[in-house]
This record gives sequence, C-alpha cells and structure tokens, in this order.
Amino acid sequence: MFLLVTFTFPVLAQVSPGDLTKAHAYLEGMSNCTKCHHIGGQVRNQECLNCHTEISKLQNEKRGYHNSNDVVNKNCFDCHSEHHGRNFRIINLNEKNFDHSKTGFVLTGKHSKIKCADCHKPDFIRDNKIKKNVGTFLGLRSVCMDCHNDEHQSTLGSKCESCHSSENFKSASMFNHSQAKYILNGSHLKVECIKCHPIEMRNGKKFQKFRDLAFESCNSCHQDIHKGKFGNKCESCHVTESFRTIKNLEKFDHGKTNYPLIGKHVPVKCNDCHKGGLKVKPKYEKCINCHKDFHNNEFTKNGAVTDCVLCHDVNGFEFTSYSIEQHSKTKFKLTGSHLAIPCLTCHKKNTKWEFRIDGDACVNCHINVHGNSITLKNYKGNNCEACHTAEKWNAVAFEHKLTGFELLGAHKRQDCSKCHSSKNENTSKVISFTSKSECIYCHKDVHVGQFIKNGIADCERCHHFNNWNPDRFDHNKTSFQLEGAHLKQPCYKCHKTIVDEKGKYIKYKFDEVKCALCHL
Amino acid sequence: MSKTLHRIFIIILILIGTATFFYFGMYGYNYYTTSNEERFFNGLHKLLKPSGLIGHGLGIIGSLMMIIGVSAYMIRKRIRKFVRIGFLKHWLEMHIFLCSVGPILVLYHTAFKFGGIVAVSFWSMVAVVLSGVIGRFIYIQIPRTIQGQEYSLDELKSLDKDYSDRLKTEFGLDDSLIVKLEYFNKIQIHKRTNFISIGWLIFKDYFINKKLLRKYKKELISKKIESNKVKAIIKLCNSKLVLLRRISLLHSVHIIFKYWHIIHLPFAIVMLIIMLVHVTVAITFGYTWIF
Repeated sequence: MFLLVTFTFPVLAQVSPGDLTKAHAYLEGMSNCTKCHHIGGQVRNQECLNCHTEISKLQNEKRGYHNSNDVVNKNCFDCHSEHHGRNFRIINLNEKNFDHSKTGFVLTGKHSKIKCADCHKPDFIRDNKIKKNVGTFLGLRSVCMDCHNDEHQSTLGSKCESCHSSENFKSASMFNHSQAKYILNGSHLKVECIKCHPIEMRNGKKFQKFRDLAFESCNSCHQDIHKGKFGNKCESCHVTESFRTIKNLEKFDHGKTNYPLIGKHVPVKCNDCHKGGLKVKPKYEKCINCHKDFHNNEFTKNGAVTDCVLCHDVNGFEFTSYSIEQHSKTKFKLTGSHLAIPCLTCHKKNTKWEFRIDGDACVNCHINVHGNSITLKNYKGNNCEACHTAEKWNAVAFEHKLTGFELLGAHKRQDCSKCHSSKNENTSKVISFTSKSECIYCHKDVHVGQFIKNGIADCERCHHFNNWNPDRFDHNKTSFQLEGAHLKQPCYKCHKTIVDEKGKYIKYKFDEVKCALCHL
Repeated sequence: MSKTLHRIFIIILILIGTATFFYFGMYGYNYYTTSNEERFFNGLHKLLKPSGLIGHGLGIIGSLMMIIGVSAYMIRKRIRKFVRIGFLKHWLEMHIFLCSVGPILVLYHTAFKFGGIVAVSFWSMVAVVLSGVIGRFIYIQIPRTIQGQEYSLDELKSLDKDYSDRLKTEFGLDDSLIVKLEYFNKIQIHKRTNFISIGWLIFKDYFINKKLLRKYKKELISKKIESNKVKAIIKLCNSKLVLLRRISLLHSVHIIFKYWHIIHLPFAIVMLIIMLVHVTVAITFGYTWIF
C-alpha cells in the first residue's frame, strides 16, 4: 500500500496546480510547462508574446490597450492568470468599468451605451487569425466602416466622423452644409435633408444621395410652376427665404404670367390686385374679379353678369370697344345719323349712363319738337319715322299730298321750313304744321287784299305753283276785256304802282273802269 | 508541571489550533468559497492564493510545523539518547498540536484546491491527521503511566481493586453497593480486533455506564449520603468503570494499535516526499515566497 500510494499517485497526478483554460488546454502536460514557465523564475512576458504575436504587434505599433500605461509595464499574468480551470476567464474585462480610451479609441455617444459584443465580434474583425479567437477584444480598427455599413455606398469617402457624431449616426450633426458646394440659406436651412436628398434604390438597397446632385438651378429640386415662362433663373425674382417673397419687383415682367399687364393695368400697383400680398394669386378670368361692376348688374345674361371685355378693354373704362356691329345685333340697330353720334347722346341721361332703353321709339331719345302741332292721320304714337329717317332729321321723307296739299311746282323746291317755320314774337323759330292750305298763310299778299273775296285770296285763280307769273289770269274774264291797242300795252301802263296807307303795291282793281283812269 | 497547569497549557494549545482554524476560515471565507474560475478576480487572491504572501507563508509554516512535530516526536520516542527529555505524553501532545495546526495551515495554503501531484501529499496529510486522531483514541484506550509506559493486566486489576477499596474506606460504601457496581461491569476480555466493533462497544458502553451511574447515584442519595460525597463517589465509580472497560478491551486495542502504526507512518512519509517534490517544483518555477 505504501508503494502504491507513494508511486502510483505521483505518476497519475500532474505537477500542474490546476487545469489550463480552454484556450491553453493544448498546453496541458508536464512537457509543456516550460513553454510558458521560465526555469528559475516565474512566467515572463516573452513566453506569452512568443505565441501572442497579435499583442506584440500592437505593442510594436504603439497602439491598442496593450500599449497603454496600464499594461506596458505589467506582467501578462497579472491580468491573464492561468491554472484556474478550463472555464476560467483568462480575459476578464470589466465591461462596465473598462476605460476604453486607453485603447486609443474613446467611446463616446452611442458607443458608450452599447454592449462590447456589439462591436467586438468576428464579423467586424479583419484579421482572419484574430477573428477565430472566440470572445476576443482584439482586431478592431478605429475605422467606422469596419463596424458600420457604408450607407453611402462609397460615394462619400471613409471619414464618417466629418459628418457624423457617435451620438447619432442618422443626424449627421457634424456636417456643415456651408462647406458643401451648395450653401444653405433662407428657408433651405429649415428644410429636411430628405427633401433635397431623396432616398432611392441603388444596388438593391435604399440609398440617400448626397453627392453629384444637380443644384445649379432651383428647378433641380423645385417644380417650376411657371412652366418655363420666366426662364430658369428663379433667383432673379425669388429669394431663398420664401418663394413667395419676390425681389426686384420693378423688374418683374408680368407679361410672362398668365395675365400680362396691358394698357391701364401697367401702372397699377401690385397690391391693388394682389390684395393680401403677392403670394395671393388673384382671379383674373373676369374683370369683375377685380373691378366693381360699374353698371350695377345692368348687363346680365342668364343671371350672370356679362364681362366687361364685351365693351371695354384694358385701355380704360371710359372707352368702349363696343362696336356698331355689336349694337346692330341688339334690338335697336344703328343706322343713319345714329351711327355718327356718341353713345352718351342716347345712353347718358343727365350724369348717369343707362344702356337699357325700353322700346325703340325715337322720343325715348329725341325731343318731339312738334309737340301737338302735327295732326296728321298717320302721325300716330309719336311715330317720327312717318316723316323722318335715321339718316337725317332734315331729310324728311314725307308724302305731302297726304296732307291734302300736294306740293307742286316751286313748292317742290322749297325747304319745309319756308312754309313750316316762322319766328315768334321773340324771334325764335317756330315750326308749325297746322293744316292750313291758304297761300297767304305762307306767302305775302303783295296785292294787299285786292283779290280777296269772301276772305279767301284764292291765288290759284291767277297763279300756278311753278312761278308767280299770272299765267292763269285771263283779262277777258274781267269786267274789262282787252281789245285793240290795249292788247299791245304792257300791264303797268294801266296798273301803276302806288303807295298809300296800305303800303306800296300795284293797283289791279279799280272801283270804276274809266278810260280817264289811264288815258289823260 | 502540575496537572492544572498542564490542563491550561493543553487548553491554550487547543485554543491556538481552533483560533487558527477559525481565523483563516473567516478571513478567507469569501475567497475560499469562491469557485476556482472566479478566485483570480477576488480581492484576496493575491494574498490567499497558494503562491500569495499569506497563502504561501501558511504552506511553508504549516509544513515546517509538521516536519518539526513529526521529527521531534520521532526522535524523542525512538532515540534512546533523548528518552529522558520530558514526558513522552507531553511530546505526544506537542506532536499532536504541531501536526494538527500544521495541516490546518497547509489546508489554507491549498486554498481548498486539491489538484495535481501535491494533492497526493495533501490527502496523505489528511490521512495522517485522521489516523492520528484515531490513533489518539486508540492510544488512550491503553492505560499508561505518566511516563507513557503501559500497565500490565495485573497492574490494572490491582488498580481496579484500589478503586473498590477507596470506595469502601474513603466513602464507607457497603459491599452490597460495590457488588452491585461490579455486577454490571464484569470484566469480559474482548477478543475481536475489529476497530468498528471496538468503537461501537465503547460508544455503547459510555451510555450504559452513564445510565448505571445515574441509577447508582439515586441509590446513594436514597442512603442519605452527602451530595459532595455522592459526586466524588460517582467520579470514582466512573474511573473504575472506564478502567474495567479498558481492561476488557486491552487485548484487542493492542492488536489494532499495531496495525495503526502501519498506516499512520507510511502516509506521513508519502506526504513528506511529495511535499518535497512540490516544494522543489515551486522553487524551480520561481515561487520563493519572500525570499
């Protein structure tokens, strides 16, 4: 039993004070002791680094936690002890208290909140040898894209930190747009990035374009609501503060809008039409969109106000473009002198314009100068057209014979006024159409009543209408027939001009026919 | 050294041993109850690990205590030249003390990590200690003089008679009472050498004696004997009963004690040899404690 205990146990047992960790399990066995242990001394760093070249490499390159002051002058086994069992955490990192800044990579923002394993995982390790080490904290570089996807698909380079902070990758808070080719100002400062930098699909992934965007023209991002009418230099009128703020208003060419300013509209101030500011786009289809209906609904058709453009244009309301042709389409067709007179003659009564005239009677406009003096049968209802035409008032187309007094001879050649016009006491002209057909009503009785019989002169006994020659007079039908030498004598030899209380006249009638009247 | 002074000395040694056990147990409880994989991260690791300042020191001191305890006792016991130096009983007590406290220190040196070749040494040490405890139990079953020399059977029987005489003369017990006492404990030579059966017998005998003494005490009280006297009589009776039991077991215990030596010593040697290997390996790999 003594021998059994003395020799069997030492053979079976090992010198090792405990199992090595899984990572070093291959070094179990007495023959391997000196691979780590130095005879005559304890474990030296050199023995460790002979295998752990990744650490020696870091130290040589003066980077990583193993190059920090915490580590450099320490023994490896101070932190990485052994012989504590297979499951011993030979790398015992206190994830909560570890000062990551000592690795040369300061954890800030989100980096300081996430778990170590979120970054320290094989997927992010480039070195294939280190990648195989389960749970290793080595092998990561300080390059953002080793861990983060390059959402920009290599279009923006590798210096993520120039735009992004570790606080929030999405916000790109470090980005200063003023350093970009397109400097933001005005309302552009308030616009969300995505409005100008839209997300598209590229290589099967969502991709937000930040480079090689067209920005030379506003139209690159903005819709040209003017549809090219004003060219592509939006900035000549607009400012970035607001598209609705217009600059260089005096240079604004309203002619390029849907409503070019012409005539009287040219000098009108903007705000007179754009009430409420230029951003208000007024209606302009009808004049009454801006203008007051001067005619107070006088012109309506089917209940709707007829637009001004039917009669007016932009050169002024005082003028009208209403044509005679248009007037001719009304119930009252303009003819004759009506074509020449101004509108106001008929349509402006007193100071008020009236375009609706009930009926087409002349007296609606014309004064009936005849009053009740015309009593002709066909002169009914103030029917001026019975005598007059629209051509000319004076051009009376009147059948005088209808009056019972047919104009013959010289009467045909006389103006109406010769007979129908007279002057009253005030020497005013009085036109009268009374139906008196006596000659002396118009003609002067140069015979001073010598031939009046029963109150009637009856000039036609001697005269006809062609002239005043007494062509109808037959001396033989008088009480003194001419014979002999009397036939050869001129009239005045017997009928001498006398002047008496009746005036100056030729004496044709004698109280008593005596030779002595003529013959001495 | 008076009996009382000796008793105080023994109590002090026991207290030292107990205090050592509990002090390091309490001091390193947190560390020792931590799993092996986690100990490295315990704040006491640097001190209490086997190669730590305290841990390593405990190992060295504990080992030295055992080496001294074993070697001194062996020398005193086996080399004639030193036979006269002190009572063997006291040397044994010192041996027990050093070889009890030493293993306690070594136990804390191991930090309760029993692996590798040195574990053989440790478990050998445990075996030696346990066998020592058992040996101590067996040892006291053999009545000895203060010099450590065993009584012969006749001497023992004479001692038993002395107890009976003292009961008669000193306390005036009548024969009926003494006969009654001896009736229950007739000397029967135990022939079996089975340690377990002996142990069971002693265990059982202890309670039988207790019961007997209780009964005996009632009888003494009924005889209207003073209480002080009753106490002294019962004490004397107990010594007598223990002596009677030891006489009955003397033969068997002698045989067992012979076997015990065969176990105790080889384990001690194994322990020492592997301890030396362990120490050599430790020094080879640079673990030299404070030196």
